[in-house]
Amino acid sequence: MDVLQAKNLSKKFSTKGRSPFGRGYFTAVDKISFNLKEGEILGLLGPNGAGKTTTIQILLGITTPTSGTIEYFDMNFFKLPKDCLKKINFTSAFNTLQGRNTVKENLLVFSYLYEVSNPYKKIKELVEYFDAKDLLNKIYWELSSGQRTRVNFIKALLNDPKIILMDEPTASLDPDIADKTLYLIEKLKTDKKLSILYTSHNMTEVTRICDRVIFLDRGKIVAQDTPVGLTKRIETAKVVLTYSTEKALIEAYVKEKKLIHIFKKNNRIELEVNEKDIPKVIYGVSKTNIWVTDIELQKPTLDDVFLQIARGNRHVFKKN
Amino acid sequence: MSLKRIRAILAHELYITKHSYELINDLFLYPLWSIIIFGFMTIYIVGSGDQIIGKNVLLGIILWQIVNLVQYSISIGCLWDIWARNLTNIFITPISIGEYFTAYSLSGVVKAIIIMILASLLAYFVFKFNILSLGLANLLLIFVNLAFFAISFGIIVLGLLFRFGTKIQAFTWGLLTVFQPLMAVIYPVRVLPEPFRSLAYFFPPTYIFEAARYNLENKATAWSNLFIAFILNLIFFLLAIYFFKLMFNKSKDLGKFARLEG
Repeated sequence: MDVLQAKNLSKKFSTKGRSPFGRGYFTAVDKISFNLKEGEILGLLGPNGAGKTTTIQILLGITTPTSGTIEYFDMNFFKLPKDCLKKINFTSAFNTLQGRNTVKENLLVFSYLYEVSNPYKKIKELVEYFDAKDLLNKIYWELSSGQRTRVNFIKALLNDPKIILMDEPTASLDPDIADKTLYLIEKLKTDKKLSILYTSHNMTEVTRICDRVIFLDRGKIVAQDTPVGLTKRIETAKVVLTYSTEKALIEAYVKEKKLIHIFKKNNRIELEVNEKDIPKVIYGVSKTNIWVTDIELQKPTLDDVFLQIARGNRHVFKKN
Repeated sequence: MSLKRIRAILAHELYITKHSYELINDLFLYPLWSIIIFGFMTIYIVGSGDQIIGKNVLLGIILWQIVNLVQYSISIGCLWDIWARNLTNIFITPISIGEYFTAYSLSGVVKAIIIMILASLLAYFVFKFNILSLGLANLLLIFVNLAFFAISFGIIVLGLLFRFGTKIQAFTWGLLTVFQPLMAVIYPVRVLPEPFRSLAYFFPPTYIFEAARYNLENKATAWSNLFIAFILNLIFFLLAIYFFKLMFNKSKDLGKFARLEG
């Protein structure tokens, strides 16, 4: 079941005054359509300026789209914004709560805003879930990034949302806290059957937690699949060979076989090979006088997909 | 309209005020300080022989605090959240603009009542001026009319802040002052030269301050002035709502609202 359906969303910004050619339009989001299923974590990825943040802002109702429709739980968001907003929430590394107030004061304010029936009970329950009891009476600005992230998550869960939009929630966190945050997101998904729309620049964490990924580039959806499915679209892999023979020998071999390669330090050579040809290449090398001491196989990752899209090399993808 | 959400904003406001010494200064110390300065000026003027002018000055400055405080309270509320990058969090809850206005207007009115009580006590005990000599009913009519205008003005400033962000944040404490000379706060409107005098009659406070002075001098209610002020206030309020909607929608259309804090 779809909990969110976005159809033909577009957002054009006027470039009046910014363009030497007079009034024009910059298309930040270009007729994108997607859905979010119940209990799914959907990654919204893309290079800077791809349209991710604008899409999130439109989905939250704080930016008006030029065209398109949004439905949350089969309700038209533009006609019934209050009913939709009651069931969704948002957390971001770039938004903070009121810094001068204590964590408890902030959480109470948002409990009232969401009309939580028993705010103190709800806050207690969530604070225990996130192990944040000791933070309640602290001033929000005095918290560390990791502590703020936990408190932001508590805020985002006060109204028992069915959907949470997360805009780079792990940005600016150290790897340990980021890992704990990802664990929390995975736990939330399971425990509370949440649907999550997730944006991040960290492809490793996207691969880890997202069920499905949408790649945006210049406002358009350029790829949409599971993280594994997307990486499989890149046909080439990297084979790194460590050799103990003379460089000239291996140089002659790759030249003869017309292999795309880069020599690396410490007697290593990186070959870019079509995945199906890997056994053939390794077998071929073994039949020469080249003495290989180590073989490392680097399969494509979501990072490679991201890089290809960011560099405008969409053609490297196989058709799905 | 949800009382819980109005309560949420009121609690939010209370917590920020509690933790912010500069707000206590802006809301309480600064107005009382103005009254003390003008109080001594009143003593000086009364000593020079004109009792009524002296009292009018003090009356005007006490009543001006209503306009100033209510408008400031409405406009500064959103700035705290813009500065803290918390505005988006508030506006993605089911809160309506009406609830947001109501909460900040209530908060402003409560602060104005507190400051009026403190100012009245200060004026009575230090400067021997009894504001209740206007009559409680008259004072209430004047208070309601001035607060009504301040709410409309606050909404206009809020619209500008939502549209243009922190680059015009000084409007919060400065824009009202620009119009203050036109509103005949401490002097009668007749002293204004043309075309300022004609312009002054577009502002509801001009009629209210005139009514207050008439009331003080003649111990009678200037009904016509208060009535005109109320009608103008209604028009001002409707225009303020329209202007705010225009600014808010434009801000969301340009994507500025979402970027106010970042």
